[in-house]
Amino acid sequence: MMTVLFLVMIAAYGFGACVALLGGAGLDRARLVAAGAATGAGAGLALGAVVIASGQPFALLIPELLPIAGGLALRLDPLGAFFLIVIGAGAIPAAIYGAGYSKAYEDGHASLRLLGVMFNLFLLAMSLVTLADNVFTFLLMWEGMSLTSYFLVITESSEDSTLRSGNWYAAMTHAGLALLLAAFVLLMNGGTGAFSDLRAGAVTLSPEVRNLIFVLALFGFGSKAGIVPLHVWLPRAHPAAPSHVSALMSGVMIKLGVYGLLRVALDLLGGGPTWWGALVLGLGAVSALFGVLYALMEHDLKRLLAYHSVENIGIIFIGLGAGLIFHSSGLMTLAVLGFIGGLYHTINHASFKGLLFLGAGSVLHATGTRNMEEMGGLIKRMPWTALFFLIGSAAISALPPLNGFASEWLVFQSLLGGLALPMPEIALAIPIAVGMLALTSGLAAACFVKAFGISFLALPRSREAEHAHESPLSMRVGMAILALACVALGLAPFAVVPMLGGVLAGLGGLPDTRPVFTLDLSVQAPAGFAQISPAWIGVGLFVLLALVPLVMRLARANRKLRVGDTWGCGRIGQTARMEYTATSFAEPLRRVFAELYRPAKELTIDFHPESKYFVQSIEYKSEIMPLFERVLYDPLLRLVRRVSRQVRRVQAGSVHLYLMYIAVILILLLVAARWF
Amino acid sequence: MNDILFSQLSTFGSSVVLLFGIALLWRKSLHAYTVVFQWQSVMLAGLLLVIGYFGHDVELYFVAVILFVLKVLILPRYLGKLEQRFGGERESQPYVNVATSLIASGLLVLLAYAVTRPLVQVSSLPTRGGLPLAVGLIFVGLFVVITRKKALAQIVGFLVMENGIALLVALGTYGIPLIVELGVFLDVLMGFLVMQVFVYHIHGTFESIDVDQLNELRH
Repeated sequence: MMTVLFLVMIAAYGFGACVALLGGAGLDRARLVAAGAATGAGAGLALGAVVIASGQPFALLIPELLPIAGGLALRLDPLGAFFLIVIGAGAIPAAIYGAGYSKAYEDGHASLRLLGVMFNLFLLAMSLVTLADNVFTFLLMWEGMSLTSYFLVITESSEDSTLRSGNWYAAMTHAGLALLLAAFVLLMNGGTGAFSDLRAGAVTLSPEVRNLIFVLALFGFGSKAGIVPLHVWLPRAHPAAPSHVSALMSGVMIKLGVYGLLRVALDLLGGGPTWWGALVLGLGAVSALFGVLYALMEHDLKRLLAYHSVENIGIIFIGLGAGLIFHSSGLMTLAVLGFIGGLYHTINHASFKGLLFLGAGSVLHATGTRNMEEMGGLIKRMPWTALFFLIGSAAISALPPLNGFASEWLVFQSLLGGLALPMPEIALAIPIAVGMLALTSGLAAACFVKAFGISFLALPRSREAEHAHESPLSMRVGMAILALACVALGLAPFAVVPMLGGVLAGLGGLPDTRPVFTLDLSVQAPAGFAQISPAWIGVGLFVLLALVPLVMRLARANRKLRVGDTWGCGRIGQTARMEYTATSFAEPLRRVFAELYRPAKELTIDFHPESKYFVQSIEYKSEIMPLFERVLYDPLLRLVRRVSRQVRRVQAGSVHLYLMYIAVILILLLVAARWF
Repeated sequence: MNDILFSQLSTFGSSVVLLFGIALLWRKSLHAYTVVFQWQSVMLAGLLLVIGYFGHDVELYFVAVILFVLKVLILPRYLGKLEQRFGGERESQPYVNVATSLIASGLLVLLAYAVTRPLVQVSSLPTRGGLPLAVGLIFVGLFVVITRKKALAQIVGFLVMENGIALLVALGTYGIPLIVELGVFLDVLMGFLVMQVFVYHIHGTFESIDVDQLNELRH
């Protein structure tokens, strides 16, 4: 059964890639490619579900294939299976959506063939990352995932900005890979790379080496996950990629950084001292806050969503950090709660961020712009997209009864449980983290009021927005699946939480918590001081919403319905230029956090040549300089450029000089062989 | 008795071959380069015969004959043709002047003695005295390639370096299998023909065969 599902997954992805390569008639090919990807993702999802349901890991060792470093070793345990489910859940809608979305590339400004091949290979490599059971397989698939996603990012390679984004992504992901290589080499300690050996060998390592491995792995996986300050590639690469690829990269791929961290820190190393968890918690809290603060200032819809990915990865890391802290103190049930919060938010983020990116893609598809200042009024022209985007916005803003609420609530509960810890520094840090998380949630809600309100409500701000059209069926189906997932995951934490408890059972000595989190309609925090039932909240809200029209009808029973213009302070003739803009919406926050944003304003007023009292045009520009680019990356890039310039001197261009290099190296080698 | 004679003959032969290599450094006309190379090859062929005789290796006779045909008859003929075409140009201003070149070549030969010391110490071959000289010849050939500007001088420098390798092979192993030798000779011939074509192109582009015109190899 499992083997069949595994083979179906491989075969379907292979089929999708081959069809894309072979070519053929345009739309049919796009559909076949999507069908391959969706089938493969579905098989992967089923495989993950079977592994979790049965508790039996699926293992496959092929030493003949790639017979170096232990060959190809695959093993799917419940943790990997959970992430395989996340991949499947994100990839099926993205693939269906992609069938319609990639039609826009048929005019030839991007290679459909490359897109199709890389899309399938990307999914395959990601799936195999979760299955990898030795260092070689893991790193091979990790790198395969990075390379294929790089090619997906530069799909629209005719634009320079896309290539630059690709460079940022490639640099960051390979810096991460270098750290991971170092971490795994230390972890292997000269032995084989099989994960079971690493697990056994990790206890014999000295604490310093274990700490070093953890820090390397944290930043290596963090560069993929996009934690601050390694997040700089997200707001560049996500907008550049095609939207269904952004949905996958943001919703799914960066989660594999979470997977890797859990695998190394909790499973292979078996947990560590308290400061590991505190570091993860701190990075998570900072990522969450910075992510949302920068998202607020963005007017590019996809960049805004990319910054929100930073925020949500931060929330996930807060959960993991809390889990690691409790784990080190032996509070296993609380630890499980933290990890469950993190993992629950992982799959929730995969669904709502995937949905939002697909929605942004529909808007981009319809209007041809990502700039929110040129949108507006789309709700009347694209009602389905608007509905789905609204569901996604509500979910990411953590409004009950949608899924973002359930997982953020769990993260909060696990943090609050930490107040009882007998360590003063932790007891001090946790309220700060709670505060940052609360601030983050509030700002996220504000940000999505802006994103939805400016994009979809009011009057169209541009001709393109005026002529926007609803997206084709395949794209709507893709979004609908994810919207349903958001609602279902939000209403059913009583099913998800025990399932996650089963996933975590046994990892790093965590107990099986399925009996604690029972299949009740409500979820109860183990400390016993909190309990919540999103399902009942949902029912309550539904009833409340049903009451509104009833009350309205009663209230205006004897008033006539009148349709008129919006009141415009007495002005005659209202245009879209009088609307609230995204910039003006964010202005109060820009002032509050001016110390962080350091906004640069530029006001250009063009007067009439006759008199200064008549103004011809006013141009207002305001830009912010992201902190980490300024203090970290700019100096680093300058340094790299300076070093490269020095190195370039070696390349003087004279043939004699090059010959001389050869001679000098020859002599040096001979001398070295003689005396060393 | 035989061994002593063999040893002296091989060391002497190697020294002469090396001397011809160093002779390149003080000649400036392109014609002299060809002649020096021709004589060096003659000496090398003779030395191969000696090694073949004392080492009882018949194959080395064949190698000596092929080497003679290739490096004494064919290559100098082509070099002569190039000379007729570009003979007016002299290696008037090498990067390193003659006096310094000679001192440098002396140092290079000293270096060759230094780096081959461990090899000579463990070797029991009668020909071991020539090994440092062969390595020195390789260095000198490389030195010619680096410091001379005319493309023709560089070709000869390359051929001299190749002679040094052939000498090292013969002294160190009494000849590698014939099939490998043949491959090496074919490589030399091909390399030479390619370089000859390049010389024509360099001249066609720059009206001169000064290789230092090629100083903008980066974009």
